[in-house]
Amino acid sequence: MDLYFINKPNLDRLVKSLSKTYKIFAPVKSDNKRFYRKIGEDGLGDSVIGEIRAIEPIKSFYFPARTKIAEYFSKDDSSEKERPIAIIGAKSCDLASFKVMDYVYARDPFKESNYISKRQESLIVSSDCTCFGETCFCVAIRIMPYPTEDFDINLSEVEGGYVVESGSAKGEAIIKEYFKLFQSAEPYIEKRDSYRKKLKEDLLEHVKKSKIPPKDSIQPAFKGKFDSPLWEEVAKTCVECGACNMICPACHCFILMDQKKEKGFERLRMWDSCLLMSFARVAGGANPRKLLAQRLRNRFDKKFNFFPDTIGRFGCTGCGRCTEACPGKIDIREVLSKLATTLQINNVDL
Amino acid sequence: MENLYLPIKTEVLDVIEESPTIKTFSLKPEAPIQFKAGQFVEMSIPGKGEAPFTPSSSPYEKDKLEITIMKAGRITSMIHNLKKGDIVGLRGPYGKEYPLSEFEGKEILLVGGGVGLAPLRALFLALAHDIEKYKSVLFCCGSRTPSDIIYKDCVLDKWQLLDKKRIKFRITVDRKDDSWKGNVGLVTTTIDKLDVDLKNSVTIVCGPPIMMKFTTFKLLEVGYKPEQIYLSMEKNMSCGIGKCGHCRLGNFYACKDGPVFRYDKISHIHEIWD
Repeated sequence: MDLYFINKPNLDRLVKSLSKTYKIFAPVKSDNKRFYRKIGEDGLGDSVIGEIRAIEPIKSFYFPARTKIAEYFSKDDSSEKERPIAIIGAKSCDLASFKVMDYVYARDPFKESNYISKRQESLIVSSDCTCFGETCFCVAIRIMPYPTEDFDINLSEVEGGYVVESGSAKGEAIIKEYFKLFQSAEPYIEKRDSYRKKLKEDLLEHVKKSKIPPKDSIQPAFKGKFDSPLWEEVAKTCVECGACNMICPACHCFILMDQKKEKGFERLRMWDSCLLMSFARVAGGANPRKLLAQRLRNRFDKKFNFFPDTIGRFGCTGCGRCTEACPGKIDIREVLSKLATTLQINNVDL
Repeated sequence: MENLYLPIKTEVLDVIEESPTIKTFSLKPEAPIQFKAGQFVEMSIPGKGEAPFTPSSSPYEKDKLEITIMKAGRITSMIHNLKKGDIVGLRGPYGKEYPLSEFEGKEILLVGGGVGLAPLRALFLALAHDIEKYKSVLFCCGSRTPSDIIYKDCVLDKWQLLDKKRIKFRITVDRKDDSWKGNVGLVTTTIDKLDVDLKNSVTIVCGPPIMMKFTTFKLLEVGYKPEQIYLSMEKNMSCGIGKCGHCRLGNFYACKDGPVFRYDKISHIHEIWD
């Protein structure tokens, strides 16, 4: 859509104005990592707009780790309306996870009203990555290190400010409303494009090292490797902590839990992890995935086999968070690379 | 938009002891739940949690439904402590039902084991309701011992008298006791010497995973084609509506695409019998 330019002081003014309507979150840096922090009328302060994705995936805002989803057998309906959220500085790999979340929560016949209204009311002000992390590999699965869809407004850092792209009617309306804060993007577009090109090339060079197979050969490689000894090998260092699930922007599994409250009862939804022994176990004890290797395989099967078949995309956004979080040093890039190269020999019966 | 996770307040009307480990609960929800045979509901103990069950009563009963439950885990143990007048939660119905219209004019073979008879009871009652639409029904029931047979007064008595021409039974137990005069052997033995026109027959299997596995293999051995075999798959389900991820079976979710599956649709999937 349309391009504009906004300088840094004006972006700060815009954010201050938007804070009247939205509960705004933007990343700040601590210990060389980025975390979302709520920002108010004081503006952006030391927020980091560029650089790379935050530690938390944005599913935390739309599908929180622990949330009440129903109250029952009580009359008090005390659900107060919260202000819509705005997320500033979300990255391309975060936005890619909307495809998975939308598939799970906004699809007929069981649409979730909470999720849908959050999606409709929230504002996404995304931004280009200006560097990459050691574990980043988005380009290897053809996700660009700059947003191409699913944002309202995108910011591409250039000297003195940002090239602003509107990506939705909502974004366009905000730009129109605060039009005096914006300038013509004309002098900056070339610069933005050359920064994007440079980062993409550098990142492609970086991911070459991990020998991730070409995107289109990942699913076929997977289909042939169901009984591969690879999964037992990977399982050797897995400690079943579930960190890879929790931190993954595209992992969506959850478990329901009920509890009593003063009046009536409430139903909570919590993130669940397919690596945990109990995940697929049924009453009576039968468990289709008793072995850790089976559960690891299941995680990859869901991401690189199930999702391509059902939504035409991977359930992985190349953000590299799982690799960063894994205490067992399991590197998703390495698993994908081995998947494509190991011969299917010594099949183990899982 | 309604809240998908909100249970309907439901009164326990009656508790029937079927066997030492299995009880049937007669339930009356505040708002009627119109299920079709094979679909399931999520039943909750208020404040404690939910579990999925397929109703075992006739789908033609409007105001109440029955659920037959084996004491097997945390929630089912709490359910077994329920008494007449207690309040529980129900939501549903969910999932795909048995495709009754595809069974019309056919010879129908039902094979059930243990508490797996529950969904088949709902199916049987639906078939019996319109029995003239079907050529015949042969109901094969297997239980571990005579005291484990559920719906005793029905399978051994009442149902036998419904339509002697069209409806037949083969009842077996794995181990007999002194009172038992009937067949002894695994439920797979009831499939021997079938007197059906295989080309015009369908078979519906429900039971523990190991029973379903060997029954399916036996059915294939006697000449049924995978597309004539319907299975009810038991998987861990939390949400019941295809979101929580627990019951994935290849590219399906058992809760949303099942729990009733035609065998040819899932035979290629690993882990189906586990």
